Order: sequence, then structure tokens, then C-alpha cells
Amino acid sequence: MIEQKVVTPEQLFFEAEREEQFITGSEAIREAIKSANVDMAISYPITPQSESMHLVGDIFAEGYIKEYFRGENEFAVMSSVAGAAMAGVRVFTATGGPGTLRAFEMFPTWSGSRLPIVCAFMTRGINSPLTIQPDTLEMAYMLDTGMLMLHAENGQDLYDMVLKAFVIAEKPDVHVPVGVFADGFFVTHTRDKVNIAPADMKLPSYNPNCAPVPAMDMETVPFRQMRDPFVMKSNFISYAAHASWQQEILAAAERARKYIDSLLGGLIEVENEDADILIIASGTAVSQSREAIQQAKSEGLSVGLVKIKSLRPFPTEQIRRLAAKAKAVIIPEFNRVGWLCREVKTAVDDTTKVVGAPRVFGGMTMPPQLIVDEIRRCANE
Amino acid sequence: MLESKYQVLVGPEGYLPPAAASMGVTLPEKGQALVEGSIVSEEEAIEKIAQKILEAKNPFLFPGPLLLWDWKEGVAEKAKAVKELADLAGTRIIPMPDYRPKYPMINPAVEINPNHPNLTIWHNKIDFCLFIGVHCHYANVALKIIRGGTDCYTIALCGEAGHEDAMISLRDVGLAQLASLTEAVARLKGVAGK
Amino acid sequence: MNKSIFKITPCFEDIMPDEYKELVESDPFGKGLGVSQLGTYKELLEEHPLCAGCGLALSLRLILASLPNPEDTVIVGSTGCSALAFPQVALHNIHSVFGNQNAVASGLKRALKLRFPDKVKDVVVIAGDGATADIGLDMVMQSWFRCENITTIMLDNEAYANTGGQESGMSPQGTVLNMAPKGKKFPKISMPEIARESGCAYVAAISPAQPKRLEKMVRRAILTAREVGPSYVQIFSPCPTNYKFKPQEMVARIKQREKEGFFKSKEYITTEAQEYLAGLEEGKKDE
Repeated sequence: MIEQKVVTPEQLFFEAEREEQFITGSEAIREAIKSANVDMAISYPITPQSESMHLVGDIFAEGYIKEYFRGENEFAVMSSVAGAAMAGVRVFTATGGPGTLRAFEMFPTWSGSRLPIVCAFMTRGINSPLTIQPDTLEMAYMLDTGMLMLHAENGQDLYDMVLKAFVIAEKPDVHVPVGVFADGFFVTHTRDKVNIAPADMKLPSYNPNCAPVPAMDMETVPFRQMRDPFVMKSNFISYAAHASWQQEILAAAERARKYIDSLLGGLIEVENEDADILIIASGTAVSQSREAIQQAKSEGLSVGLVKIKSLRPFPTEQIRRLAAKAKAVIIPEFNRVGWLCREVKTAVDDTTKVVGAPRVFGGMTMPPQLIVDEIRRCANE
Repeated sequence: MLESKYQVLVGPEGYLPPAAASMGVTLPEKGQALVEGSIVSEEEAIEKIAQKILEAKNPFLFPGPLLLWDWKEGVAEKAKAVKELADLAGTRIIPMPDYRPKYPMINPAVEINPNHPNLTIWHNKIDFCLFIGVHCHYANVALKIIRGGTDCYTIALCGEAGHEDAMISLRDVGLAQLASLTEAVARLKGVAGK
Repeated sequence: MNKSIFKITPCFEDIMPDEYKELVESDPFGKGLGVSQLGTYKELLEEHPLCAGCGLALSLRLILASLPNPEDTVIVGSTGCSALAFPQVALHNIHSVFGNQNAVASGLKRALKLRFPDKVKDVVVIAGDGATADIGLDMVMQSWFRCENITTIMLDNEAYANTGGQESGMSPQGTVLNMAPKGKKFPKISMPEIARESGCAYVAAISPAQPKRLEKMVRRAILTAREVGPSYVQIFSPCPTNYKFKPQEMVARIKQREKEGFFKSKEYITTEAQEYLAGLEEGKKDE
């Protein structure tokens, strides 16, 4: 193994001097995993995720990770990752698009089992017809798996979110999986300036003895223990136990709020919040919105921006408060179903001011002009 | 964050009570504790537990696997402190030896299970219980069920971050907190006895 | 685990329910007990909800009694009848979802190797025929191709019994069960041969009608998985509930099927595993 100094999360995230590198999103994943003190990573190819897990394989060969292998399909990989997490080690994997759906049964299973797995999702379109191009549709399906969901705008976000996700996931009061989502190709395959912590530092290792459930290692009490037991008799007692268990997973996400606040600077970032027109976006739709806001400004239109970094837990109260002051709320998305629009509509008091546009999908880019058009329309109403 | 005024009060709260965390109750920071959904100092919470334990007609301690099994250093000492507390406060002890849904059924007179803690509470007419040494996940599963269907006042002494679903919860509980609690019980008992 | 950590905390000894006291007083941990000693110690399986006469229940008891190091064994199960008994087993065990047991076991075993490099932790998969030969076959075979150091045990009751008696890949050809209303169209899957060709160093087929032989095979399989490579044991035990025979006829039914040539006990061992096992068994004789 490579010699690295164990430092506190705060030292690694906020105190260590960072070096600026001009790298792709996939390389940002590699850099994050270098410092994450990951015990095991398991991979399976799917475009546009593959490169990130190739790079994780490379740093396994260099001695940054203790164990790494390619599984046989995404469902199996997510299952192997679950087995490793139950044994009490820190694990990482990544997938995207059809891979996410192939593995889907395992995501609520991870949450229900309280497994602090970190998984990166490099989003892409879903069949049919087949496409490998960017699209965030899969995130719609992931919203109710019990996983925490962070959405990266760029390489810097991806680096910080992956690294910090381990710390959030492993808090004893949280201890549920975290998905870090990045828009495939737009983030994974483009180069950007990313500030990186020194690779000779790493996070402290995972301590399974602080977990809210026992590790499956025959070293932890109780020894008569199934992960996870059947609670499925046909009586009210069983239903109540299962219901309470599900509520506890939701509660875990609530508890994550304060850690997301302290480590990621909040669930949202807001610019110009008093503007009449607000854009609420996540992922690369935020970058496109920034462009659009610049253009609108040159036309004399003042537009605010709310960047959502955490989708689960969702910044419900913040969005409600911000939307209450605005005349119109524009939600640009890279998918056809408009899942972020739905989420925002459930949070705000007046849904009529929410504009679910523009939406692009199937691999399309989102020209900022489309967003400017919406801004103009709202300004003229 | 929800800014609700949800209070974690003695039940029965209803068919399916919510997780307190989903109602805006947050866990305490180090040195703090939770009393009925509000954050207070650890000292205040300890005092309140001592009061509640002495007021109760039929108080019980529910030690979990982390304390019942002598599996690592420090457990025996902590268990002794819990036993002292029980003896002084006059509470009985019912164990939660593991978390399995037991087949065909538990004997609610002698054990408690996180999947149906209400059975043990109803059977023994328990009006005060204190969880200690239970893995956090199973404690939370049990505490909500108790709040939903029984009138038992719940305490959770936690070695980690605490429990919103208990009526009173301490975090980072070690020997020092147990000693303070025992001392508070002794003091209040002394006052009550005079 | 070290046997010294399996004890009740001194001041709570009096309040623990009897079954836990009994388990601590006469546990099988670290004692090298086996099937011959059944009845002289507290078994790891407590009372369970499987049907009367279920051969899986008997097989499970025999398997647990055969584990070479129960104190360091973690079991991975899958959805099915046996999963109803597993919450009552006094070993760490995992039920994830249906069919993914060998993938879970692969991650688990590798992780335990990382955490306990100086200790042997046996990972044993125990799952039904549906989980092993149908829904999970790709992951079962892939774990063999990858030479994972795990043992896979199939409890072959020749049906999906827990879901109400459907035909499985392990049902005999012609079987009329749910989802095969006109009779099963293809023969029982040759799992031992598939295992042999897929990289298993040790393969065996046996039934609970031969408890001592079953014990020997389970031990050989687990020992082989530690050092040589993956291993597979198939335990034949048709379902009395769905094949509609009397609970007390289970053993007779197995023997009859054997006589008719439908079931055969077998053992395939690679040369490497043979040498390794011979070394171990020789060493044991010397003791």
C-alpha cells in the first residue's frame, strides 16, 4: 500500500493546501478516491462511467485501495458491494443509465440495510431506443430509494461530493448510502479546473463498531443476527415493525442535513435571491443557467439562481421560502419527465408560478438561449 | 429543515406515529441532550430522567446486546454501573439479547424484542423504560412502536448521537453520565425520603 | 471470534432467557464438534417455522453441526424456505435479495480477508434450488469463474416451495407443479457437473439420509474453499408439502429416488484439492 497520512475530515477538506489541476470528471473521481481511504472498489463497464472505474483500478494497482475487481453485471456488483459493506469495510462503486436500472433492486436494499456505500452515478439515457448520451432520467427513479442524493454541477463538485459523501454516509446517526450524481459526458468527459487535496493525505478508516447495525464478521454482538431479518408475518405487529423501519431510513436522511450543511456548505447555493425571477436547477443545468443569467443581465433582466446540491434530503423549506418571494420560478432540466419540477412543486405554496421548462433529452445539449427565452416570457407576463 | 413544534410525548400516539426526525426534531450536539423533542443541557436531561424514574409506578431497564454480552473491554464496567442504577432506583431489568423476529413468539415476561416491544410493555404494564446498549437502528425502530401504541415513557441512553424517538435521550453515554444519573437518583430519592 | 468473547456480562447472567444461557453453557464454538455429537450440545438453530418433515430443516441442522469453525463462519442465504429459519441461527448471516447470494458472498469474503488477514473466516452460501440454479445461476457461476474462496451449498427441494409450489430448474422432467401445468419440459439441471466445469475444486451431491457422509462433504467443501478454490455441495431433499408425501416418509422417499436412479451421491475433487484434503485428513489421523 502507498504511504498516506491519516488526517481528520476537516483537515483534508478545509485546511490542507489544495493544488489546481485541469482534469476530467472521471479523473476527479480518481483523485477523490485516492484520499478517501477506500478498502474495496468493485467495477463494471458502462459508458460514460467506465473511465472513472478504470482510473480507480489504476490507483488500486498503485496501492491506494486494498481490493478491486470487475463484477459480472450491475446487480451483482451492487450485491457484492453490499456484502463488503456488511463485513465492515469502506466500499466504492459507480454506474449509470441502464446500469442503474439493472441494479435497481439493490438501492432500497442498501438503504434498508443501513449500508454506508458511496456510489457515483454518471447519468445517461435509458432504453429504448438505446442511447449512451447524457440524460438525467434515471434520477427520477432513484428519488425514493432511501439513498441520499447529491448532484454535481462540475468536476470540482464531483471531487468534493464523492470525498465528503463517505463522511456523511458513515455518521452513526445517518449510515445510509449516498449516491453522487454527475451528468454523463458533460462532467465526466470534459476538462475543468479542480482544486485537489494532497494525495499523501487520507481520511480516517471506517469504524464498523459505531454503526447503527452490527457488522457481519462473527466478532460483533449479537451473534444470533440476520441482516436483515424477515418482518413479514401477516399481522399488525409485523406491519408496524416494517413501517417503523422504513420511517427510520427517512429519519436518517433528515439527520444528514446538518452534515451536508457543515461539509458542503448547505443543500443549496443561492445567488441574487431577491430577484423576481428565480432559476432552480441541479447538475449541469446550473452551468447553463449561469450563462443564461449573464445574457439576461445584458438585456436588463435580473434573475436569481438556486443551485440544488442535495436532492435527498431535499431542501424543502429553503425552496418554499425562496419561491414565495419570486414572481416566477424556472426549472431547466436534462430529462423529459421533469422530476426536479415535480419536487419543487411539492415544496412551494403556489405551484402556478413554477415553469417546468426548458427540458432537453436524448443527449441534447441545453443552449442557454432556451433558458433566456423562458426568462423573457416570465418577465413579460 | 422543518421548523415544527413536534413534541415527543408519552403515547399512545396513534396508528402510525411519525419519526420525530421527520417532524423537525434534531439530535443534540456534544454536551447536550433531548427532552421531549427539545434540546437541553445534558445535566438538565439527567435530572429529568432521575425524576421520571422515581415517579414511575413500574419502571424497567432494557439493556441490549452491546451490554448483555461481555464482548469487549469496558462492557462489564458499564453493565455494573447500569445494575447499580437499577438497584438504587428500584427498577427491574428485561433484556433484549438480540434483534431477531423470534419464532414462534417471545415470552414477554422475560424478554423484549425491537420488532414488537409493545408486547413486553403491555404484558408487564411498564410505564417507564430505559434503553441502553441497543444498536441505534433497532432502538429507533422500537421507540416509535412504543410511542405509537403504549403509554410508556421512554429513555434512550446512547453511546453515539442519541435518539429523537425517545422522550429523553442522552448521547455519548459512558461511565461518567451513568454515575451522574445514579447520583441524581440518589439525591432525589434522599429528598423524597425526608 | 475468540471464544472468550462469547459470554453473558456477569451482572446480567440471572436475567437472560434460558435458551441464551444454554447456548453459552453448551455451545459448539471452538470445540470441533460434529454430527456424532448432536444431542450433547446446544444446536445453533433454534425453533423454526419450516414444515413438519422438511428435509431442509434437517439438512440445515446437519450443515450447522458440520461447520469446521462455526465461531468464524458467516452464512449468506437467499430468499426461500431456508431463509425463514435463518433468523433463528446463532451465527451472523445475511439475507440480501433473491438470487444475489454468491455476489454478496464474494464481497463479504474479500472484505473479511481485508479486515482479518490473520484469521480464517469461512463464508458459506446456503440457498435453495431456485436461488442457486435459476434466478442466481449467473452469479453462482461467476463466483466460481472468479475462484472466490467460498462454499456454495444448494438445498435442493426440487421446487419453489416458499412461494406456493412452482416448478424449478431442479424439478424432475415431467413434474406437474404450478407454472408447469402440463408437466416440466426439460430435465433437472446438472449442477454438480456445471460446478465441476466452472472452476469448483470440490463438488459433492448428498442427501440428509446419510448424515455422516453429508458432514464429511460439507467439511471438505469448506476446507477446500479456504485454500484451494470454490466448492459446491448439493443436498437432495424433496419438498414433502409440494410433492405431497407424508412428513415421516422424507428419508424413505430419498432412498427410493436413489434406488430408481434419479438421485446419486457423488464427489468430484480436483487433484490439487485432493492433495490438500489428504494432507489435512492425514494430519488429523496423526493427532
